[in-house]
Amino acid sequence: MFDIWLAIYDTLLTLGRVFIDIAFAIVTGWLLGYISLKSKTFENIYISLSEIFESVPVISFFPVVLIFFVFSIGGSLGIELAVLFLVFTAVVWNIWMGIYQAFKTVPSEMEEVIRNYRFGFVGKMLRLYIPFSMPRIAANLIPSFADALFYITVSEVFSIGVKSYEVPGIGTLIAQYTAEGDYTDAIYALIVLGIFTTTITLLLREFAEYSVKKYGLDTEASLKSFKRGRFRIRYSARLSNSKGVFAKLGKYLTKPPYFTRQNRLMEEEEAKKRKIPINMISAGIGILLLIIILYGAYSVIISVKPSTWSYLISTLPQDLIDLGADYIRVAVISLMSFIFAVFVGYYIARHTNADRVIVPIIQTFSAFPAPAYFPLLYGFTYTYVSSIFGPFTNEFYVLLLGFISTFYYVFYSFWMGVKNLPSEYWELMDNLKLGFWTKMRKIILPATFPYIIAGMSSTTNSAWGGLAIGEYWPDIYQSQTLEVRTGLMKALAIADNQGNLALVGWLSLIFAIIVVIYSVLFTRKMMDLARKKYVAEEGIYAA
Amino acid sequence: MRLSHVGGNTVGRILEGIDLGYTYPNGYKVFDHVNIETYNNELIAIIGPSGIGKSTLLRILGGFVKPDHGEVRLLGKKITQPTPKIALIHQSIVTFPWFTALENVKLGLKYKKLPKEKEDEIARKMLDLVGLSGFEDFYPKQMSGGMRQRVAIARALAADPVVLLMDEPFAHLDELTAEGLRREIYSILFNQGTSLRSAVLVSHNLNEVVELADRVYVLNGRPASVVGEVKIELDRPRKPKDDRFQAYLDQLYSLLTPVEKSVEQKDRGKQDV
Repeated sequence: MFDIWLAIYDTLLTLGRVFIDIAFAIVTGWLLGYISLKSKTFENIYISLSEIFESVPVISFFPVVLIFFVFSIGGSLGIELAVLFLVFTAVVWNIWMGIYQAFKTVPSEMEEVIRNYRFGFVGKMLRLYIPFSMPRIAANLIPSFADALFYITVSEVFSIGVKSYEVPGIGTLIAQYTAEGDYTDAIYALIVLGIFTTTITLLLREFAEYSVKKYGLDTEASLKSFKRGRFRIRYSARLSNSKGVFAKLGKYLTKPPYFTRQNRLMEEEEAKKRKIPINMISAGIGILLLIIILYGAYSVIISVKPSTWSYLISTLPQDLIDLGADYIRVAVISLMSFIFAVFVGYYIARHTNADRVIVPIIQTFSAFPAPAYFPLLYGFTYTYVSSIFGPFTNEFYVLLLGFISTFYYVFYSFWMGVKNLPSEYWELMDNLKLGFWTKMRKIILPATFPYIIAGMSSTTNSAWGGLAIGEYWPDIYQSQTLEVRTGLMKALAIADNQGNLALVGWLSLIFAIIVVIYSVLFTRKMMDLARKKYVAEEGIYAA
Repeated sequence: MRLSHVGGNTVGRILEGIDLGYTYPNGYKVFDHVNIETYNNELIAIIGPSGIGKSTLLRILGGFVKPDHGEVRLLGKKITQPTPKIALIHQSIVTFPWFTALENVKLGLKYKKLPKEKEDEIARKMLDLVGLSGFEDFYPKQMSGGMRQRVAIARALAADPVVLLMDEPFAHLDELTAEGLRREIYSILFNQGTSLRSAVLVSHNLNEVVELADRVYVLNGRPASVVGEVKIELDRPRKPKDDRFQAYLDQLYSLLTPVEKSVEQKDRGKQDV
C-alpha cells in the first residue's frame, strides 16, 4: 500500500536539502561578492578558482566528499553533510558568479549615492547590492533547483565497496521501491515528486519575473562584453518565456563592469583613510584560501604510498582510452542537443503560441530529475529498444540519459539568444528575404554564438554527470545492470564500488586535469572569440 | 490657406499608402485615415511630434507591420509582407559585427542568388557609391557611426530597391558627420547607378527635412492624421540661411503646433458656424 504521507515527507526532506544548499550559496555569494569588490587580489583568486571548479563536473568532488565527510566526520551527520556538500557543488557556481557579476555591474551612479550617505556594510548590502543581485539570483534559481534535484536524487543513496550509505529522502524512497520491484509505488512516488517540482518550478518562474520587474533596471548600458567571469547563460537559462524579462536578462549578460578606473581610485583612496585595511584583510582571506587548497592537495599526495603511485600510474594508458571513449559520448550528446536546440529553439522562439506552451513544459520536465525515473523508463522500454539497437542498447540508454539530463542548457541558451536578437535584425532578414539556411548561417548562428558556446559548455559539463550515473548502474531494473564497455565514468564507478579510493582519487584527478585543459584551451578560447566578434548588440549603433 | 497642397497626379506614382490606420496592442489608436504617396525621383519626409506613430507608419509602408485598415501599394501592386524592393534603413544603425563592410553589403544580394564574383562586383560598386571605396575589408567596429550608416545604405541599395524607407537615419550621428552625409545622400540615392525611384524619410529634424525633402507630410492630432502636405520648391544644394528655407521651416513649425490648440480652434470654428 502506497504511503502518500511518507512520500510527501521524504520529498520535503529532499527539497529542504536543496533549499538549504541554495540559501547557503546565496548568503556566501553575497559575502564573497562584496569582498571581491574590496580586494583585487581576492577577486582574482575567487574568480579564477570558481571558473576552474565550475568547469569540473560534480562527480570530481565525489572522492573529497567521501574521504572527508563519510570517514573523517562519520555517522549520519557525516553522510548528511556529504549529500549536502555534493549538491552544494552542483548549485553554488551559478549563484556565486551571478551575484559577483551583479555586484560588478551596479551602476556607478547608484554606488555613488550610497557612498554619499556613508552607509556601512549592512546598509550598502541591504539598500543596494542585495536588491540589485535579486534578478540574477532569481534567474539562477530554476536551473540551480533542477541541478540540485538531479544530483540529490542519486546522492541520497551511495555505496563504497560493500557498504551502502543513505539518508532519508525521495531519491532513497524511489530507489527502495525500484529495488524491491514495487514499480507501482515507485511511479506514485515519482508523481508526488513531479507535483512538487512542477509547482516549485512554476513558482520560481513567477518569482523570476517579479524580481526582474521589481529590481531590474530599465536603463541600457554600454554593450561591451563582460570581461571577468564567464557569460552567465546557465543561470538564466530556464527562465520565463516573457520577452521583456528576457530582454532585460540578456542585457545583464553583456554589461561591462560599471566600476570605472576613476571610481576604483576614489574607493582606494577612501579605503586608505580608514583605520581597518579592508583590502589587506580581503586579500589575506583569498591567499589563505589558496594556501588551504594547496596544502590539502599536498597532504593527499604525500600520504599516498610509492607502490600505490606506481600502480596508479600504470593504469594511465587505459584511463586515457576510457576518457577518450567518454569524450566521444559527450560529443554525441552535445551534437544531439545542439541540433535539437537549433531547430526546436528557433521554431518556438518565432512562434509565440508554441513558445507559451512548450517552454514551461520543458522547464518542468528538465527540473524533474532524470535519475529518479530513468530506471523505470529503462525497464519499460528495454525489450523494444534492444530489438532495435541490439548490442548497442546500453550505449543508447547512456546517451539518452546524457541527452535528457543535459540538452536544456544549450536549448535554453540558444532560445534566449534568438529571443534577444535585436528587432532590427529580424526586420532586416525579412526585408532582404533571406532563406532559412542563409538566415541561420549568416545571422542567427553568429548572433547567438556567445549563447551557444555558453550553453554548449554547460551541456558538455552536465553530460559528464549523465555519464557518471549511466555508465555503470548496477541493478537499475530487476537486477539488470546498465553498463558500457569502455568509459572513465564506468571505471570510476567500479573503483568506487570496490572501495578503491586511491583509484577513485586518481581517476578524478586525471579527469579534472583534462577537463580544465579542455576548458582553458577550447571553451575559453571560444568564449573570447564570442565576446570579441559575435556580440549582436554591437551591430546596433545607437550613440 | 497656409498649406500648399499637391497631389492629384497619378502618373509616376511609386508607393501609395491608402487610408492607413493603426492601433497599438494596448488599444491606443495612434493614427487613422492616413494617405501617403511618393512619385518618381522624389524624396518625401514624414514629420510629427514624438509618439505620433511615424516609425510605425514607415514600417507599415514597408510591409513589416499590418495596418488595421487600408493598404500599401508599390507600383500599383499590393504589399503584404516585407520585400527587398522596399528597403528599410534603421534609426539605430544596423551592421553585423562578424562581417566586413563588403560582406555586410553582400547580404543585400543574397536573395538574388548571384554568382560570388557578381555579388562581389556589385557590393564593391555600392560601397564606392557611398564613398567607402578602400574600406571593404573593415569590420563595423573599426568604423565610425557615419561609415557604418553608409554601409547600411550600401547594403540597402545593393538589393535594387524601388523605394528606400529611412527612419531618422542621421539621429545617432554627431552633427558634423550627419551634415556631411546629408549633403551627399540625395545624390547617392538618386544616382544613375541605383534602381531607386523614391525615398521616404522620417525625421524630427526640420532643418534636415527642408534640406532633403521634395515634399513633406505633417502628422498631428490624436489619433494622428495628415494635417499638412508641403512641397519644398528650393533648388539644390539648399542653404539653411536662405530666406525661403527659413520660410519653409516656419511653415512646418506652425503645422506642428500642439494639437490641443488646433483642436480648440477647430471646435471654436465649428461653433461659430
